[in-house]
Amino acid sequence: MPVTKKWHRYLRLWGPDPTADVRDEFDFHLAMRVDELVAHGLSPAAAREEAMRGFGDIDRVKHTCTSLLEAREHMMRRSEWWRGWWQDIRYGLRQLTAYPLSSAMLIGTLGLSIGATVSIFSVVNAVLIEPLPYADGDRIVIVWETARGLGSASAGHFHDWTEQGTIFEATAAVQPATYNLADDGEPERVSGARVTGGYFRVAEIPPAVGRYLSAEEVEAGEAVVVLSHELWQRRFNGDTAIVGRPLRLSGEPHTVVGVAPAAYALNDSSGGAGEGGFSAQLWTPLRFSPGQRSNYGNHSFRVLAKLRPGVPVAAAQAEMERVTRDIAVRAPENMQGRGVFVQPLRERLVGGAQAQILVLFVSVALVLVIGCVNIASLLLARATTRRREIAIRAALGGGTARIVRQLLMENMVLAISGGALAIGVAVLGTRFMATAGPASVPRLRNAGLQIEVLVFALGLTFLTGIIFGLLPALRAGRPDLLETLRSEGRGRLARSGRDWTRAVLIVGEIAITVVLLVSAGLFVRSAMKLQHVPLGIDAENVLTARVALPAPRYQDASVVASAFGRMLEHLRGVRSIEHAGASTTIPLGGGSIDAGLTVEGRTVEAGSRLPYGHVRLVTAGYLEGIGVTLRRGRLLRESDMTAGGPRVLVINELLASQLWPGEDPLGKRLSGWTEGEQPEWREVVGVVGDIWAFGLSAPPEPELFIPYTQAPAGSWNSFQRSMVLVARVPPAGGDAADYSSALRNAVWSVDKTLPLYDVRTMEDRLSASLSARRFLMLLLSGLAATGVLLAAVGIYGVIAYFVTERTAEIGLRLALGATSGSVITMVLRHSAWLAAAGLAVGLVMALAATQVLGSQLFEIQPNDLSTYVLGTLTLLGITLTASALPAMRAARIDPARTLGGN
Amino acid sequence: MNPELLHGTLEVLILKTLSWGPMHGYGVGRWIEQLSGDELRIEEGSLYPALYRLEHKGWIDAEWGLSENRRRAKFYRLTAEGRRQLRHATGTWSTFAHAVGRVLSTKQQPI
Repeated sequence: MPVTKKWHRYLRLWGPDPTADVRDEFDFHLAMRVDELVAHGLSPAAAREEAMRGFGDIDRVKHTCTSLLEAREHMMRRSEWWRGWWQDIRYGLRQLTAYPLSSAMLIGTLGLSIGATVSIFSVVNAVLIEPLPYADGDRIVIVWETARGLGSASAGHFHDWTEQGTIFEATAAVQPATYNLADDGEPERVSGARVTGGYFRVAEIPPAVGRYLSAEEVEAGEAVVVLSHELWQRRFNGDTAIVGRPLRLSGEPHTVVGVAPAAYALNDSSGGAGEGGFSAQLWTPLRFSPGQRSNYGNHSFRVLAKLRPGVPVAAAQAEMERVTRDIAVRAPENMQGRGVFVQPLRERLVGGAQAQILVLFVSVALVLVIGCVNIASLLLARATTRRREIAIRAALGGGTARIVRQLLMENMVLAISGGALAIGVAVLGTRFMATAGPASVPRLRNAGLQIEVLVFALGLTFLTGIIFGLLPALRAGRPDLLETLRSEGRGRLARSGRDWTRAVLIVGEIAITVVLLVSAGLFVRSAMKLQHVPLGIDAENVLTARVALPAPRYQDASVVASAFGRMLEHLRGVRSIEHAGASTTIPLGGGSIDAGLTVEGRTVEAGSRLPYGHVRLVTAGYLEGIGVTLRRGRLLRESDMTAGGPRVLVINELLASQLWPGEDPLGKRLSGWTEGEQPEWREVVGVVGDIWAFGLSAPPEPELFIPYTQAPAGSWNSFQRSMVLVARVPPAGGDAADYSSALRNAVWSVDKTLPLYDVRTMEDRLSASLSARRFLMLLLSGLAATGVLLAAVGIYGVIAYFVTERTAEIGLRLALGATSGSVITMVLRHSAWLAAAGLAVGLVMALAATQVLGSQLFEIQPNDLSTYVLGTLTLLGITLTASALPAMRAARIDPARTLGGN
Repeated sequence: MNPELLHGTLEVLILKTLSWGPMHGYGVGRWIEQLSGDELRIEEGSLYPALYRLEHKGWIDAEWGLSENRRRAKFYRLTAEGRRQLRHATGTWSTFAHAVGRVLSTKQQPI
């Protein structure tokens, strides 16, 4: 065995010494030569001389040989080193397959806990946490006029804020506008925004092509336009020669000066043109005439501003309040109960998300903790099972270092497999959620895997793995071999500290799972409640579509009204449509306009706030179309729609209770939404139920429904000559969406060039407004479900180990006549004890933790009893299931084998 | 004897010598001398580097042992690979020697 013998050399104290080797060899040679020469008759001295001469320059020869020897030793050491590592890797892989279930659970735990948490975190990060894409996005604020809530500002306000404010670097006013885009292709309805010159300095990203609107252009009111990236790609195929091209917007020629980059669109979920014009498809100049600049009454502009660097929002708020107070002094009639509020754009977009983010962080942390506990527990079980094997190895002189290295390798193999799985799950999961999630969730499509979180999660679990994986190896340094073997033989379970550790770990894991279960339950039920809140309308089987009449051809109010009237006439001719009508604003349709109201017979005290209501110009059939409930009186009829006829209107319950509390509003008169200063009294002929027009999380507002023919002439400008057609079909009439061609035909019967847009069923609108919130809840529930799954694995592991440890004892019992039933009971009792302890701790923790969730939930109390009961039952069920398999395995233990085997 | 001629062939000679059995470095040198009928005298300065090179190539193995007179010495032994190399080199040398012999002993002038 040459290999073994050579290793004797390696057993030298300080390892092989090539120099000494060479010296020794040459010394031997010299000695032999001298002997030979002396035997031939030379003197010892002469012999020595002669012998040396044979070597020539002996030092050089020694040097050559030493180098050769050293090179060889080096090579051998290296190959031994590699062989050692390779052996350990193969050993690690063998161990993997030697304990397949345990290995699978470890790898699965790693993969699932890290993968799920990282991918969900990445998605929520993109939606809620990422900074805005604009330069210095944190400095962008929205300046609202307040009137019991946040509202648009007037041109006068904008002007004064801009002129008299010193803390803004730039300001901009935005007004949504829709256009008929016509050039070489098919006419298309696009939602755009008219913006003042400072807009692109407030929301600043370098343009993709060309440039933005300049202040001078805007001031001069030139007919220029900037396109959005999406529009540019879709309609103009990304043609870089787009700059300078003429377009017709609603009949008026405009010249393209530039294209915004793709990152510009924020896609916030408010639908329509989007607040602040960020999801506009094109931008045109907005300029105010001198008259408009002192108009404080028409509130239809969104005002954005950019704070100077270092200026806190509070300072901006204070200054704006000062300016606004000035305005109130100069124009008191417009400023009743109105104020100003400066809000950071970030907050507006993800408002109220702080709590959601907190919930996210905590959930991710909890699931990771469960994952780590699982890993620790599984590793400890593995180690204990192999206690005997490790002890024997140590006794055979394996050396602690070698054993530690082998265990390290084994854990490395597990860790790498698990880590690879985790990365795979994380990458695929993020991609899946980003693409499959609802389109209305802002910035979802941009979600990318957060590497830092992945690295953190991997690091955390690996650390756990190393600690708990090496613990047994370090103990193996001083094993009492005899004791171990003896105790293994008798199957006596040493009540070591390790078992208490495991019990504590599992109880903790169960407790955390309870918290996750309860919060997931609360979320899910909250989401379900959101589904079923009655909007106040009957959203089923209703199709809606918006039409807008271009200004040049439809200038006169009567022309507008007549056009819409004819469209509806046509619609009503369609047999299967039950009700058809139109309104300037529909629920969840965005873009509502409100007006101050005066009540007949009441004097308005100076300085008091006017009551207000949201104005809708409607045709007959609209209220029936959306299925609102009639409370009193009647709905609007065709006969009400005559221009010169008696002025009537319908109001909702909320407005009725505000204006005439406790009285019957029918017959009473109010004035609002008037052309000039004089009141125009309208009589209330009906009261309808409240509608959640602004989404399910905002309360209903007071509304008034005015016949569209009886509106002051200027109204159509404010509403942009646009109405939404509403058609209700009977349930048996098929899918409402199939009627879009009927709507289209109705429009074309009046004017073939008018496009129909935003064709959607009411149900779609409803689910779109919900979807963002529901999506987030789904994610958080998914996180909780992952935690539960991991806990189930953990429980299984603990109980299985429990059975394995007690195999001999169980065998003994069975041999002495115990029934398998009693064995199962014993196992289940152990698991029940763990579950009960975990439940107790968990329920207390859950009660405390869910207090935080209160703001996130919809009509569910954090202490909701049924959720807790459900959570408890689920946990018990999981525990039972996870324990069932090991319990049955215990019952099937063959006493003969276990007792005789040792 | 010209040491240059010997250089490459020295390794072959060592291999052949060791094919008779393991021997220490001194012994290898003496055996070659004896087998060549004392025609060849191997300088130690060439012998030992050649031995070390052969060990590096893996054609021979080295291990410490006790010599005939109870001295500690490094013994060399042919490996399987070395045996293979020896067989190959022997064949090549025969062919070479034969060819050289033919040229040297030819009576005819080349065309």
